[in-house]
Amino acid sequence: MSKNSKDNKNDVKPAAVDNDLDLFDDFDDDPLSATSVSRKSLVIFFVIDTSGSMKGTKIGELNTVMEELIPEIRRVGEADTEVKVAVLTFSTGVKWMYSEPVAIEDFEWSRLSASGVTSMGEAFKELSLRMSRNSFLNSPSLSFAPVIFLMTDGYPSDDYKEGLKVLSANSWYKFGLKAALGIGNEANDEMLAEFTGTPDTVVHAYSGNQLAQMIKIVAVTASQIGSKSMTLADQNDAELSDEDVYASKQKMLGQQIQELVNKNDSDDISFDSGW
Amino acid sequence: MTDLKIGQEVELEYGGRATITGIIGSGGQGVVYSADYNSTSWALKWYDITKMKDPQQFKNNIKKNIDDGAPSNKFLWPRYLTKSLSDGSFGYLMELKPDTFDTFVDILNTYKLKVDPLTGKAMKQDVRFTNLTSMITAAINIANAFRQLHRAGKSYQDLNDGGFFINVDTGAVLVCDCDNIAPDGSNFGIGGKPGYMAPEIVRGVARPDVQTDKYSLAVVLFKLLFRGDPLEGEKVVKDVCLTEAAELSHYGANAQFVYDPDDDSNRPVRGIHDNVIKFWRMYPDYVKDAFIRSFTVGLTDPGKRLIEKEWQQLFIRLRSEVIACPCGRKNYTSMFKKVDDATYECPKCGTVFSTLKFSNRESRMPLYIGSRIYECELDPETDDFITVVGELVENKLKPGVLGLKNVSDTPWRVKMPDGMFYDIEPGKGCPIWQGLEIQFKNGMITASVEP
Repeated sequence: MSKNSKDNKNDVKPAAVDNDLDLFDDFDDDPLSATSVSRKSLVIFFVIDTSGSMKGTKIGELNTVMEELIPEIRRVGEADTEVKVAVLTFSTGVKWMYSEPVAIEDFEWSRLSASGVTSMGEAFKELSLRMSRNSFLNSPSLSFAPVIFLMTDGYPSDDYKEGLKVLSANSWYKFGLKAALGIGNEANDEMLAEFTGTPDTVVHAYSGNQLAQMIKIVAVTASQIGSKSMTLADQNDAELSDEDVYASKQKMLGQQIQELVNKNDSDDISFDSGW
Repeated sequence: MTDLKIGQEVELEYGGRATITGIIGSGGQGVVYSADYNSTSWALKWYDITKMKDPQQFKNNIKKNIDDGAPSNKFLWPRYLTKSLSDGSFGYLMELKPDTFDTFVDILNTYKLKVDPLTGKAMKQDVRFTNLTSMITAAINIANAFRQLHRAGKSYQDLNDGGFFINVDTGAVLVCDCDNIAPDGSNFGIGGKPGYMAPEIVRGVARPDVQTDKYSLAVVLFKLLFRGDPLEGEKVVKDVCLTEAAELSHYGANAQFVYDPDDDSNRPVRGIHDNVIKFWRMYPDYVKDAFIRSFTVGLTDPGKRLIEKEWQQLFIRLRSEVIACPCGRKNYTSMFKKVDDATYECPKCGTVFSTLKFSNRESRMPLYIGSRIYECELDPETDDFITVVGELVENKLKPGVLGLKNVSDTPWRVKMPDGMFYDIEPGKGCPIWQGLEIQFKNGMITASVEP
């Protein structure tokens, strides 16, 4: 779906149609020697604000919850989707945690520290650059649209609108599942909704506990929905059109996040339930 | 949804309590816990009723299934319903997956993940069929399980790779997730798993029923044999990103079989679909034709889909057409050189195999040490695909002399080299010779070596 996919079309070759099988061919002819069924891939992008204001409990809590989150997401993808994780941090500059997306089975969280300003626009541009068939999304088989999860505690110090404009032209972003978490009083939910395209997938955390909860709710729900095909036929009894299904995963993500968040607002449910 | 906690007790409809002991996994409809009931360990499926259209109707259907009982022992069937909690949530008890079985998902992935409880590190462990015969037996058993279910007037609705446990040594099959099973024609909300759903369900114009089960069955069998997706080829991969609209097109209105003989635009792609490319060349035409029919005319016309019995017979034949050559090669006769109608030759080592002709079928059974005659080949009505009645062995007293041993419980009537007929009692055998003739089932079926 990215612009680059056009250039890659030529790489795709149909199987040779040679049915005159030469039995003396030296090819591996064991009917049991199968390799794993080709799995669909999903990359989860975490885009994390590590500016100076995140210093202290915010970044501490974030590091801890991310470490704990990885095994939870691992369970989500073990069936027929290969899940990979990429982490982009932004402060005065932008930086990837690893040089390419890492399979969830092998992913280890490397603890982040916070300092500097909030170059969110630059982060959007960097994200757009890497969300390409020639870069981070280079799986030869089919991919689901990526999950992109933005976390920030403040207002961008650069021109985020320009960055978002670049990002918006990226097809992977357009079809991706987008969610955002605002941390503390400074973060602006309206601006985050510009990024996600809908306020339904924007959540807000004011305390350490909430931060941990919100990250888990959003990351687990998004990877669950992102790593599965849509169950397209839900209530319809008429032929579905492209418009019927457009962005249905993003809508479903919004619904589920809102359900879970509202549940967590009520005090009768303890922090350890609802997962 | 209401989560259950370890140690929590849940009341059952017919009395007694089950105690939660752990979590086994979670799925789209809820969570599966392990639980103790009557000093036995069970699996407890607990529903997220907020995702159900009509929880009471769903519960009534499970209750009816429990009352009806399982169609056969190939099903891990719901056994005991729990009482509903105050918020309406409920679940049911079923037997646990035996340790000797693996999930079909793990078989397709060729490994399972074992998580070290201390480090949280996931380790890969191989999951593969230990021999070709057990893989084909699994195919027979899967087709048969659905035949039994459909004969009971029910449809499975959500047939997919998560729905089976298979023993990779024997090919025994257990169908699990039986909670969406409903009388044919009813549907309580489930649509199915993409990739396994019949195109008419994907398109939104049909609900799951026996006919859509037949489509899903063909997908399951295709994946078991060819280890790939029947509709995922060049045309699909070109899209790169599987958006909702792309799925609707490739699995719905524009679904196209990768080996459609009349349209090569969606062929498997080297480097991605290597399994399908490799295995498609190896299977005999009658197997390939069955899949071609399922995924060409059967895509749009549910009446053209293969019935379970056809799959069953086809795989019984395929299993009887396997040769294990002394050189170590084990493969279908389609991968051996056909010298004449009655003889095959190994292309690698040159060993020649004669065949046995049966009066009740056209295909011939190759003879090699270890080749077997199954009860189901002599009795077309049986649902037993594992019992062996005869096996080809080497005479222990006369090395090099091969014969068929009667391992059934009834005598055979056999023409011996002296031209006379003798009774071969269970446990005895007869040598293979040019004029061999065996009468099974009081002479109803005969097998002979003559060309």
